[in-house]
Amino acid sequence: MSEEDKFDVIIIGAGPAGIACAYTLAKDGRNVLVIERGTTAGSKNVTGGRFYTYALDLVEPGLWKDAALERKVTHEQIMMMDKKTSITIDYSNPSFNREGEMPQSFTILRAVFDEWFAAKAEEAGAVIACGIKVDGLIEKDGRIIGVRAGGDEMYSDLVVAADGVNSMIAREAGLVTELSGETIGVGVKEVIELPSKTIEERFHLKPGEGASLLMLGCTEGIHGGGFLYTNNESISLGCVFTPSEAAHNGRQIHDIFQDLKMHPSVYPLIEGGKTVEYGAHLVREEGYRGIPKKLYRDGLIVIGEAAGFVLNIGYTIRGIDLAIVSGVAAARAVISGKNPGPEYLDELKRIKLLPTMKAVDGYFDLLEIPRMYAAYPKVATGVFNKMYTVGTDVPVSIKKGIWSVVKENKLSLWQLAKDGIRGFRSI
Amino acid sequence: MAGIYVYSDNSELNGELITLARTSGQEVCAMALSDADAAEIVKFGPDTIFILKGQNPIAESYTGAMAKLLTDQDASVFLVGATVRGRDIAAQVAAKVRCGLISEAGNLTFKDGAVQANRFMYGGLTEQIETGKALTAVTIPSGKYQSVKNESVKSVVVSMTVDTDPRIRLLGSSPVVKEGADLSKAKRIVCAGMGFDKKEDLKIAEDLATSMGAEVGCTRCIAEDRGWMPASTYIGISGAVVKPDLYLALGVSGQIQHTFGVRDSKVIVGINNNEKAAIFNVVDYGIVGDLYEVAPLLTEAVKNS
Amino acid sequence: MSKIIVCFKWVKAEDDLRIDPATLNVDLSKAKGKISEYDRNAIETAKLAADASGGEAVALTYGAADAKASLKDAMSRGPKQAFWVNDQSAESADGFVTANVLASAIRKIGDYSLIICAEGAADTYAHQVGPRIGAIMDIPVISFVKEMKIEGNKLTAVRKLENSFEQVEVELPAVVTVLPEINPAPIPGLKAVLDAGKKPVTEFKIQDLELDQDDITRKTEVASFKGCSTSRKKIMFTEGDTKERVNALVAALKKEGVL
Ligand SMILES: Cc1cc2nc3c(=O)[nH]c(=O)nc-3n(C[C@H](O)[C@H](O)[C@H](O)COP(=O)(O)OP(=O)(O)OC[C@H]3O[C@@H](n4cnc5c(N)ncnc54)[C@H](O)[C@@H]3O)c2cc1C
Ligand SMILES: Cc1cc2nc3c(=O)[nH]c(=O)nc-3n(C[C@H](O)[C@H](O)[C@H](O)COP(=O)(O)OP(=O)(O)OC[C@H]3O[C@@H](n4cnc5c(N)ncnc54)[C@H](O)[C@@H]3O)c2cc1C
Ligand SMILES: Nc1ncnc2c1ncn2[C@@H]1O[C@H](COP(=O)(O)O)[C@@H](O)[C@H]1O
Repeated sequence: MSEEDKFDVIIIGAGPAGIACAYTLAKDGRNVLVIERGTTAGSKNVTGGRFYTYALDLVEPGLWKDAALERKVTHEQIMMMDKKTSITIDYSNPSFNREGEMPQSFTILRAVFDEWFAAKAEEAGAVIACGIKVDGLIEKDGRIIGVRAGGDEMYSDLVVAADGVNSMIAREAGLVTELSGETIGVGVKEVIELPSKTIEERFHLKPGEGASLLMLGCTEGIHGGGFLYTNNESISLGCVFTPSEAAHNGRQIHDIFQDLKMHPSVYPLIEGGKTVEYGAHLVREEGYRGIPKKLYRDGLIVIGEAAGFVLNIGYTIRGIDLAIVSGVAAARAVISGKNPGPEYLDELKRIKLLPTMKAVDGYFDLLEIPRMYAAYPKVATGVFNKMYTVGTDVPVSIKKGIWSVVKENKLSLWQLAKDGIRGFRSI
Repeated sequence: MAGIYVYSDNSELNGELITLARTSGQEVCAMALSDADAAEIVKFGPDTIFILKGQNPIAESYTGAMAKLLTDQDASVFLVGATVRGRDIAAQVAAKVRCGLISEAGNLTFKDGAVQANRFMYGGLTEQIETGKALTAVTIPSGKYQSVKNESVKSVVVSMTVDTDPRIRLLGSSPVVKEGADLSKAKRIVCAGMGFDKKEDLKIAEDLATSMGAEVGCTRCIAEDRGWMPASTYIGISGAVVKPDLYLALGVSGQIQHTFGVRDSKVIVGINNNEKAAIFNVVDYGIVGDLYEVAPLLTEAVKNS
Repeated sequence: MSKIIVCFKWVKAEDDLRIDPATLNVDLSKAKGKISEYDRNAIETAKLAADASGGEAVALTYGAADAKASLKDAMSRGPKQAFWVNDQSAESADGFVTANVLASAIRKIGDYSLIICAEGAADTYAHQVGPRIGAIMDIPVISFVKEMKIEGNKLTAVRKLENSFEQVEVELPAVVTVLPEINPAPIPGLKAVLDAGKKPVTEFKIQDLELDQDDITRKTEVASFKGCSTSRKKIMFTEGDTKERVNALVAALKKEGVL
């Protein structure tokens, strides 16, 4: 092999994980190649579009100021819904967005964000080759020494698999097995364009401010939920749920999503907008439990969602920030000069990624309760219906009202108690 | 003498261009490269016919002579038929006389010594109106204007010997065997796209076409990349522009360059297995489904109805 | 080694154009750039011609700042170096200006044997820049070529006309404009993409080229630029099984009177 064909590190995938890793390494003067199958970084990525800013600060303090971000999230909302009605809780906490400080989180459009981030890495000296799919790894004496792409082979001291959910590379390396239908969600998303003024009016926002809205009860009892994020001049609307369950119910992803769009509480938010982007993508759902036992092999490290680093915890999905953090961890491991694999694991602990994932591990159990996705949102909306219905009839007492709604939804006291305990334990 | 100058290597188009040029109220001068061509042109009654006589049989080698004529005569517009040769000639002449060229134009109007026309951009997604103040070249596709015979005008014929470009030598020419249907007159068209996996499967389109008395057309990919159908049957901005009562697309993605060619159809139907296919933005009726399943059922249903 | 210069254009992707249905105003600002489809076939043709004849394929574009992204892409398809006339005027240039600029750039590059353009660009599809370049530089033009061969100093080509194929020959240097079917344009591989990053790029400014004000002033004016309206019924048959959908379609077509 010639010098020409050898890099210090080859990174597969120009998602947030891969680019964060490339950027950090390139800044340290390493010779890095990122290979991305999409025609540009971000072109293939489907994400809700909410990003926790701390991760970019970890890559480089202040980097976020220059980043291609949309709106800072000032309104956290959760909507519980049944077919027609809904309850929305709106939480706003000024301390997340203090004047002069780094806002806690932003909405982003991945096509824009990833391209910006990739350009940054390129500026720092990384080589990014887009439009090329890595077909497999090159192994020699049990060590990964390079990659195959098209008819070409390329070598490196270390290969970093940042190829996202359902990582083909991690599977080929024998670190993970095929994902099963129960542990994987499928997400669909549209970007709907609207004038920024309209968005600000509909969500009561000031310029630059954004809302993040999670929706429960829109998936017809199927494990999952909807999300809506406000961008500068568009809205990202989507839903995530377990496809195996949907198939079971004989429902197409598309139908459920269409119903969500047409829901009387959602439609007014997107009315008049133009859909400019549509995508479907998988997302891991098991959290900490989904992390493979081994995250490295001789010559190979797995980062980002390929390594299971995503938290889908009902009130929020976090994958981008964790991807970036893991990319930084891998880069630091390389820069340390120590054996990169074990050092990477230590970095993940130091950087608090693994501990974070472990801490919220219990949500998985909570989210496993099927009643979360239909019965409980229905109970909630049913109770509100009783509370707010005023007419000539004598109102029922709240207690009675709640009870009748619980019964209407065929829930037993026993189930309620069980789910309550399970829920409390899991958080 | 100033006026509108017209050239086409296609005699039908000559008629269309001369008739169009007449609407300007200016002198209409036609160019011919042989006496035989001039004899055809005379029927349309231009005021003057310039017969340019040179050595090289290739029309494109006359661009220098044409440019000189336009300059010498102080022409105001150079109208050229948008054939393959016409496009090349118009561009070379425009470069030589340093003028603008509005290619494949429509809605041409002459006013106050200026010319204005529409042309499509981005494969027909957008349209722009261009105006030329001084001498401007314009190419016009065939069939956009009527051709009217006018034997009442006694054309002045001016014959001149000119220099032609000797550098390109004609080695030979082989006719393209005309195959496939004449789509321009078809009432109904079934169009096959790359949704078809192999050539034999085109039978599905043929069967459907037979059941409804339609002709079969295709996309450029089917004709040029795959070579499964004759080039004369592909529809679109660089192929045939059709206006049937019914245009039915099977496995066609609906890229603008293709759908441009069917825009004037009365009813457009699309069948595609991808619900997001662009074709569904430009149809009257659509079915999301596998053409291998839908088309045979449709053939049956048409037969039974 | 004499150069085979291929001219390619960085155009806005039509899929990204936004057309306001009410006003038909067109918003190009969100559109990504791409190498015009048929120019990719032209680039491949230049590469193959260089391989076969021992010349050096080089790529030339006249584009605004965003065309920078095109250079690596073009070179990953084979050309050994790229030349870029970087000027904002490219966005509003007509065929007259474009050909003047490209012809001057070609003179500056020098030592060429063949200039290749595509039949037409994806945005303008005007079929004029190639023949214009030949006329400006006073070298012969062979347009709409579907096959070609170079032997020594001689180029033979097959042109596709409406009703015939025409075989012609010419001594180099010459300009050819090629049809896409002349060569399929393969997607570049990893090594080609990496190599492209190392190939030299020469940037020209309009001022570097010997052009006067008239050479770079449009000859035609654009009086308006609008989207085309497409109003169709867009009725989708979604109810029932395939057979029911098909029957509903047949019924609708009957009602329209087109069956
Ligand atoms: C519907 C939905 C909504 C979500 N919402 C949010 C949210 O709001 N906030 C949040 O933080 N997270 C969210 N996530 C999760 C988040 O998108 C992912 O966790 C995150 O993108 C993971 O980053 P990554 O860099 O590991 O992988 P990815 O972003 O998936 O990037 C992997 C890259 O590798 C490339 N690639 C794959 N295979 C190959 C190959 N063989 N050769 C070359 N390239 C290859 C891909 O094209 C891709 O660009 C959401 C996910 C979904 C599906
Ligand atoms: C300057 C320029 C000029 C052009 N001029 C023309 C022109 O004049 N005419 C022309 O046609 N093109 C033209 N093109 C090309 C055009 O852009 C498109 O590439 C072409 O029309 C696509 O052809 P297609 O729809 O057959 O193929 P594809 O785009 O490959 O689409 C195939 C479709 O079939 C569907 N499909 C696949 N399998 C099935 C199935 N089993 N059942 C149902 N559906 C299925 C797919 O979902 C897809 O939508 C031009 C391009 C350029 C750049
Ligand atoms: N700005 C440009 N830069 C380089 N080449 C161009 C440019 N514009 C047109 N061309 C070439 O000329 C061909 C025909 O363009 P057009 O005449 O605009 O259809 C294109 O396919 C390119 O090969």
